[in-house]
Amino acid sequence: MARNLTGLKIRALRRQRDLAQGELARRVGISASYLNLIELDKRAIAGGLVDRIAAELGVERSDLDGVAERRVVASLEEIAADPVIASGGDYPGPAEELVGRNPAWAALVLRLYQAWLDQNQAVLALADRLNRDPFLGDSVHRMLTNVTSIRAAAEILEADDALTPADRRRFLSIVAADAQKLSGTAHALLEFFNSAHMRVRSATPAEHVDAFILATDNYFPELEAVAADFLATGRTPDAAAEKLPAASRRFSAEATVAERPETRRFRLLKESLQPVVAQPIQALIQNHAALVSEESRTLATSALAAYAAAAVLMPYEPFLEAAERWRYDLDALSRLFGVSYEQAAHRLATLHRPGAEGVRFAFMRTDASGYVTKRLPLPRLSLPRYGNACPLWAIHAAFQNPGVSARGFGELPSGEQFLFFARAVEKRPSSAAAPRHLLSVMLACAVDDAGRVAYGDGIDLAKAMAPIGMICRLCPREVCGHRQEAPLIT
Amino acid sequence: MGKARILIAEDEQNIVESLSFILKRAGFDVDTAADGTEALDRVRRLPFSALVLDIMLPGMNGFDVLRAIRSDQNLAALPVIVLTAKGQAGDRRMAEAIGASAFITKPFSNAEVVAHVSRLAGGVAGR
Repeated sequence: MARNLTGLKIRALRRQRDLAQGELARRVGISASYLNLIELDKRAIAGGLVDRIAAELGVERSDLDGVAERRVVASLEEIAADPVIASGGDYPGPAEELVGRNPAWAALVLRLYQAWLDQNQAVLALADRLNRDPFLGDSVHRMLTNVTSIRAAAEILEADDALTPADRRRFLSIVAADAQKLSGTAHALLEFFNSAHMRVRSATPAEHVDAFILATDNYFPELEAVAADFLATGRTPDAAAEKLPAASRRFSAEATVAERPETRRFRLLKESLQPVVAQPIQALIQNHAALVSEESRTLATSALAAYAAAAVLMPYEPFLEAAERWRYDLDALSRLFGVSYEQAAHRLATLHRPGAEGVRFAFMRTDASGYVTKRLPLPRLSLPRYGNACPLWAIHAAFQNPGVSARGFGELPSGEQFLFFARAVEKRPSSAAAPRHLLSVMLACAVDDAGRVAYGDGIDLAKAMAPIGMICRLCPREVCGHRQEAPLIT
Repeated sequence: MGKARILIAEDEQNIVESLSFILKRAGFDVDTAADGTEALDRVRRLPFSALVLDIMLPGMNGFDVLRAIRSDQNLAALPVIVLTAKGQAGDRRMAEAIGASAFITKPFSNAEVVAHVSRLAGGVAGR
């Protein structure tokens, strides 16, 4: 688990400013030896002192508290645990040193890894496409069939001098017909390779949006204000949606069958808010350092439009008040606000208004294979980005009983303790023809906040604290029946 | 002694035309089936000296037809020459494992087909 990086950052900034340790210590009213311990990360640093040091160094408090760096450290350590990257090499040691001393190089390594991952995925996707694409397989089969027919007929025409004129005409027409088919198939193949079928989408934009949301603490006062203005004019979410053009409303039976009512309501509202959110969203994403590509800005725009819709359906103050009153019971909240379990859970992870904060939650969503489709970590709880989460997390247990909450307390190897609760929900309504499409939605909060959360009720904390990890290769627990891979660090 | 009788199970009509022509020229009687079910039905009802069997048949594919033939006591000894447009080693191994007598990859030469059929069916009629 990442150490606190504040000390390393203080030392680096102090040196950049050519400030002696004793001088800085004097200015902030502590002894030089105490500052030395802080810089070596051997002493925790309290709130007021961080502010004084930040002021002396001319930086913001947030530049020192190391939250963003801890995320970089966690990502780098995950990279070091990647079996392909790690193979054959020695474990490079804790990443804090690199992040603390040279954050630009650390960021570069991270970007390099993401680019490598992207390329790898592109190669795999293309290979898979070429191997398994039914169109390609079928085309090759058809071409071989046509060639076989042409060859057989041509050999007959060539070898058999005693052919009757009728047979000669018959086999000539076979050659002509199959040659025609062959050229048709070849043209279709050419078209296939020339067309947009082979475009490979990069995975990196999603990473950029992750970074953007983390950098902004997943709280957007500008969008909360838009939502409040919208509601202040007396408009209701559903009335707004009704004003959309008929094409957007999609009142067809097919759409109704394929979409949950809450999903439909959310989608229509998101669309109807478009005119009022476009400008504030543009202002938020424009020139944000994390959103470096057009694709990442498009994804972020969609994520922020969803944020605004959530803020209209679950207005900040009433939602926070209800959350506290009903002790973060997601069933109660989804009924009170007419939203889905997942929508309510996601909104809980945005209640970060300074001075009116809710319980801090990490949010994670996976499919049944463990593939992570959404993640919002906590400063002390990293969520796996590149590998599968510890099998002991509630997010997996939730699939055993869809629609029912799986919950439990877990202790990371660092000693940090969290309450996890998850539920497998249907992404789309089930039907007789299609298998259920389940996603597991998990929230996690620090054990200190568990008393405010209904999901911690009735669990004997002392007995139920399960020893868990993040991913197998980063987990040092030697005795674990669920281990799938050897730990990188022993 | 009558001519040996060969069944061609192949859904591509133009290939059937050529195969029938060359096998008849080589001295065989030829019958045809356009899908797997029809082929199996034919060999169960009529005596054949060999079956030329395409793998990619509609409905019941060639592997399934071959399995059914090899598990049928009356047909277990019928020579079966498998034709496939897929030359992959996997197909060949599969065909051999379930009892193909010979394996020909498309596009084949006519002489290759005639040679295999002559070797396996001989010049004699089936059961």
